[in-house]
Amino acid sequence: MKTDYLILALKNLKHRGIRSWLTLLGIFIGITAVVSLIGLGAGLQAAVGAQFGISSTQVISVKAGGLSSFGPPGSGAVNKLTIDDADAIDGLSSVETAFPRILSSSKIEFNNIVELGMSMSTPGGKNRKLSYEILDLEVETGRMLKDGDVNKVVLGYNFWKDGNVFRRMIVPGKSVLVQDKKFIVVGTLKKTGSLVFDSMVLMNEEPLRDLMDYGDDVDVIGVKVRSEDVMDRAKEDIEKLMRKRRDVKIGKEDFEVSTPDSMMDTVNSVLGGVQAFIIIIASISILVGALGIVNTMTTSVLERRKEIGIMKAIGAKNSQIFMQFFFESGMLGLMGGIVGSIFGTLVSILGVIGINNFLGAELSPVIDFILIGGALTGSFIIGAVAGIVPAMNAAKQNPVEALRG
Amino acid sequence: MVMSKESVKYSLNNIKKNKARTILTILSIFMGIATIFIFVSYGWGLYDYIDDFTSSSSADKLVIQPKGVGAPGMDTTFKLMDDDIRAIKNTAGIHEVTGVYIAAGEVVQDESKKYVFVMSYDPKLPMIMELSNVEIIEGRSLQGGDSGKVTLGYNYLIKNRIFPKSYSLNSKINVQGRDLRVIGFYESFGNPQDDSNIYVTNDFMSELYPEKNLSYSMIVARANKDDLENVVSNVEKKLRQHRDLDEGKEDFNVESYADLLESFTVVLDIIIGFILLIAFISIIVSAVNTANTMITSVLERFKEIGVLKSIGARNSEIFKIFLFESGFLGFVAGVIGVMVGWGATIFAANVLDNLGYGFLSPHYSWHLFVGCVLFATFTGAISGMIPAWRASKINAVDALRYE
Repeated sequence: MKTDYLILALKNLKHRGIRSWLTLLGIFIGITAVVSLIGLGAGLQAAVGAQFGISSTQVISVKAGGLSSFGPPGSGAVNKLTIDDADAIDGLSSVETAFPRILSSSKIEFNNIVELGMSMSTPGGKNRKLSYEILDLEVETGRMLKDGDVNKVVLGYNFWKDGNVFRRMIVPGKSVLVQDKKFIVVGTLKKTGSLVFDSMVLMNEEPLRDLMDYGDDVDVIGVKVRSEDVMDRAKEDIEKLMRKRRDVKIGKEDFEVSTPDSMMDTVNSVLGGVQAFIIIIASISILVGALGIVNTMTTSVLERRKEIGIMKAIGAKNSQIFMQFFFESGMLGLMGGIVGSIFGTLVSILGVIGINNFLGAELSPVIDFILIGGALTGSFIIGAVAGIVPAMNAAKQNPVEALRG
Repeated sequence: MVMSKESVKYSLNNIKKNKARTILTILSIFMGIATIFIFVSYGWGLYDYIDDFTSSSSADKLVIQPKGVGAPGMDTTFKLMDDDIRAIKNTAGIHEVTGVYIAAGEVVQDESKKYVFVMSYDPKLPMIMELSNVEIIEGRSLQGGDSGKVTLGYNYLIKNRIFPKSYSLNSKINVQGRDLRVIGFYESFGNPQDDSNIYVTNDFMSELYPEKNLSYSMIVARANKDDLENVVSNVEKKLRQHRDLDEGKEDFNVESYADLLESFTVVLDIIIGFILLIAFISIIVSAVNTANTMITSVLERFKEIGVLKSIGARNSEIFKIFLFESGFLGFVAGVIGVMVGWGATIFAANVLDNLGYGFLSPHYSWHLFVGCVLFATFTGAISGMIPAWRASKINAVDALRYE
């Protein structure tokens, strides 16, 4: 019996005019927006995370207080951290190792072209390998830096790839000018997916300090904790130590200690705002679509009065008439949902491919069947609910009058 | 299009008779219109905000900035110094030049500490303040020799905006560990960053940051208005020579202030365009809904139309009746949509203003109100066109026979 309703509903839908389908635009657009957004969510998160260099490795970063969100790390600092701070943190029992890092914008010249890029220091000794791991840096060609490299640099992927930046590929062995000083390129990095890191110049800490006249200043201190279980304790230890070193009271810290979680939270709150906005618009669209279904079903009931009369005359119950229109309306919503889901999935796949191409990330498109199932169920329910009143009207028809009209 | 009184009355009666469907149609159009009203008024407001920075003083200004990453003043790898200002001053077409320092500052009030932008300029050449187009609302602006004195952004006047306590004229504010006297407040820029600015004189800036090797974050120049493009390239050339750089290897940017603003407008165009596209799609859906309503209406009144025709109604009159009906539905939906949109934007503007984002404020003009209502009426009328045409073409005899 249930399948009969389904078959009948589908048959009726086949006879629908173009205007019925047009009313589905609202549902279609809303579902497309929701499915593609949620499908892209993970990709967007990874992409944004990569931009900030937030990695999977559990590290704490310590920065001096200041206008930290207006420029590269350390640039808006009022009272910079120093090498001694890094050494002191390194000595904490909950900390496995801590290393200072400096970052500075700089001009890079090659092939008679000058570009603005970021130069970043790599720590020496035992922390060298860790610092690469934290940022997922690996060489594509040549080698990484090693202790004692003075006038050597490793360049980000963008400098090597197709020679995009300087119209000529930079291969190991070539020399570039960084802030007008000559450096020999010993390696180029694999693509990281971050616009910043892919255009980065890596050099050892001492040469970069001399080049940029940095003195003892430090922009960021990277901290690896003994184990992930002591993450929170390490954070507290560092805060306590830094308060003492910089002579500030609780609540008046002039430094920031951030765990990977807190960094990701920032990213998520920004993304969440954008998503909330689009979901509001999508909901309006779905609501208008639902109204369209109410309208088109009302029209449909009127158009098929005679048919309803005949069905009643040959013994159809009120409840059966109701079910028929109720189902039909639900199917109408479902159609919008199906087309929207297909479109939304396509958009999210294209989006992921776009993010991959643009950032060189290796995200694979996720087709979330639970999400699609939810969207389809949701669109069916929206359609069915929208059809309740018209279906009730249809069921209440007087068979004699309906037959006449 | 002239309609007889009876036709109008007849149409209105029909609308009244079928309340449920009328409400549905109006509901769907009104949501589209309200969305469009909200987006257009806010989009317009944003353009206004950018326009605010364009004043009579902005047409002849050049802005020279060192290249760098982030907000002005954050990245100090490339330095513009006094000798660069002298070089710019000696360029043909330049009348006046002045430098602006911007740095992060630490401000303390009782138990709380905040970081804000500290900006300094030469009070004799306050071109940067003229460009910002904000006025002093309390006290006075900085003057030459104002050592240890500051003017503050609007948010310092308000409790719990930046600090728990507000500041007033002649109170002391602790900046970079020093107590400075407040001598004036600026009106609101409408965004939390600029409204938290602290202003001092260039002379005092170097006292406030004794350890910092200050370099100019921005140099503002007044130039010959009619020849601005040439002056821009002259300044570029002069600075290149002065800083001993080849063409294409500049570590600075020279732009007219108008071009600087233009770049913001382009981004805004894209965002607004995208949002309007979404709003228009919802209008298309509502238009289809209206067409549906009208088709139903024609179907329901098949016989009635036959009667009307048999007692002498012309095709054109039938057409007008139905067109008027759908247009009227659109009109009512438009009025409701505009009112709801208006209410929503007033509410949102209040919330945003309290949060310190006053620059996100809607722009209302009679164009917007009238335009939205007309647009809704038009949408209704257009979508009623085909059903009305069908109604007018009904064969009177068949229609009379129709049960």
